[in-house]
Amino acid sequence: MFRKVLIANRGEIALRINRACQELGVQTVAVFSEPDRESLHVRQADEAFCVGPGPVPRSYLNIPNIISTALITGCDAVHPGYGFLAENARFAEICADHGLTFIGPKPSVIAAMGDKATAKRMMHEAGVSTTPGTGILSGVAEARSRASEFGYPVLLKATAGGGGKGMRVVEREQELERAFAGATAEAEASFKDGRVYMEKLILNPRHVEVQVLADEAGNVVHLGERDCSMQKPSHQKLVEEAPAPNLHQDVRDMLHDMAVRACVHTGYSNAGTLEFLVSDGAVYFMEMNTRIQVEHPVTEMVYGIDLVKEQIRIAAGERLGYSQHDLVARGHAIECRINAEDPRNHFAPQAGTVAKVVFPGGPGIRVDTHVHAGSSIPPYYDSMIAKIVAYGESRDAAIARMERALRETLIEGVHTTVEFCAEVLGTPEFRSGRYNVGSLPAMLGSAV
Amino acid sequence: MPHDSRSIGERVAILAAFLASSDAVRVRVERDDEEIEVARYVRSTATSATPARSDGAAVAEPPPLRVDAIKADLVGIFRLSRPLPFEGELLEDDRELAFVEALGMRNPVRSLGSGRIVTIAAEDGAPVEYGQPLFLMDRG
Repeated sequence: MFRKVLIANRGEIALRINRACQELGVQTVAVFSEPDRESLHVRQADEAFCVGPGPVPRSYLNIPNIISTALITGCDAVHPGYGFLAENARFAEICADHGLTFIGPKPSVIAAMGDKATAKRMMHEAGVSTTPGTGILSGVAEARSRASEFGYPVLLKATAGGGGKGMRVVEREQELERAFAGATAEAEASFKDGRVYMEKLILNPRHVEVQVLADEAGNVVHLGERDCSMQKPSHQKLVEEAPAPNLHQDVRDMLHDMAVRACVHTGYSNAGTLEFLVSDGAVYFMEMNTRIQVEHPVTEMVYGIDLVKEQIRIAAGERLGYSQHDLVARGHAIECRINAEDPRNHFAPQAGTVAKVVFPGGPGIRVDTHVHAGSSIPPYYDSMIAKIVAYGESRDAAIARMERALRETLIEGVHTTVEFCAEVLGTPEFRSGRYNVGSLPAMLGSAV
Repeated sequence: MPHDSRSIGERVAILAAFLASSDAVRVRVERDDEEIEVARYVRSTATSATPARSDGAAVAEPPPLRVDAIKADLVGIFRLSRPLPFEGELLEDDRELAFVEALGMRNPVRSLGSGRIVTIAAEDGAPVEYGQPLFLMDRG
């Protein structure tokens, strides 16, 4: 096992990793930006170093300062969390060059899965079904020709993309040129890589993803699926649940089987998630995230497995120690993302100070947060301030518990998504478990 | 383990700022297992205070101490350069005072012009973080 781990992240995930390390008897080193000096992740780590000012490129993406911190504090591993450097293959390589274990898959696999076109090709080779689509487009002329072949609507996506950036829906040919220019420019600005590819747009599918764990000896298991279809118009997830409701067992089995097959084919190790679109019983691979996911707690609740500890154990060279047969999902879990955003104003992010905060508790409730009364929410970072997770023996019990938890939650000083999440839970679509990625945007549309 | 999240350099900088804004020449804080003492380098001109005049005419004040901090702009091990700088030393020109060793590179820390070294705020051979005051300089 590692002696000391550097946590290259902030907020709730930095705390989550710190907790896992402490329970494993591993010392921790936090890194932080100047505005995060008073953050909980800084206070709770064994050591903490400021690595730069507020803007992300100068602090949480400042590779030289992060690596230097790891070296001068005697760390032997780096946990990247999610976002920031988590899927940066070059960072994983630099860690290795300096004798640090990157807690994640091999750099070559991160690079392959990070390039969406390459990932799709590898999945196709592994027998995983993929959306009809193209490789990287040479220009708008090729885009026009391929879109005619698939039939509109089509989706333009950044090959280095994520979080909805560099993505455009094109419903008719007249919109294509402008959408191509917009997607390319946004991808270039967000990822310094303007390359885009095209997919046939599957209208209002479900977003269902499969959690996997693989050790370095080639043992692979899945930990079931999560339904993440409740997404904002920006494609960012808001409410997630495990297992996915109203999913035919054949489809469920197919998803799990494809996820394991993909890991074996790519030589994957550590924790990962394969995202699929599900529509009318058909499944299409969308992308693989080579890191821990924001919504991992719902899987932890139903499988009773600590995914972050598993990541650390696997990176330290330990075997899984269990097989697929040993893993059984029990009950149901739902997560609501509490963001400092104004849902009535296009989810505009809110910077400021949290004046008062009361988080829920009681049976079956888990809150992962870095926020407390007096916390400042700097403008530089993601607006998520907490994840409330509810577990129940059944889906109905989990919903009732989540509704109770949201009623208990009080956050003053900034607008949040607390009340909006409660509204989502109360919709007939969510109640019935028959919703898709179009449901939340439609709900917002009808509210306007 | 609960601790004051501010680095030693920052705590020294706070004390130095307090010192600069007061009449005190030395301030010492003792807490648990640490002691921090920051002293003002008092120039002879500054100590010969002109007595106040009863006729209300302008009184010549000693020039104020203009203290600024030279801070680390990267994370690494702080090492003093040779010749070793010392507190109270008057620097006529820009000079390398120290370097921060990071990823095998020697990153010079310069005085950024002339001035007097008020405090060497970091310990030779100690790790330093981004933004940590390394030297407090009187530019007056």
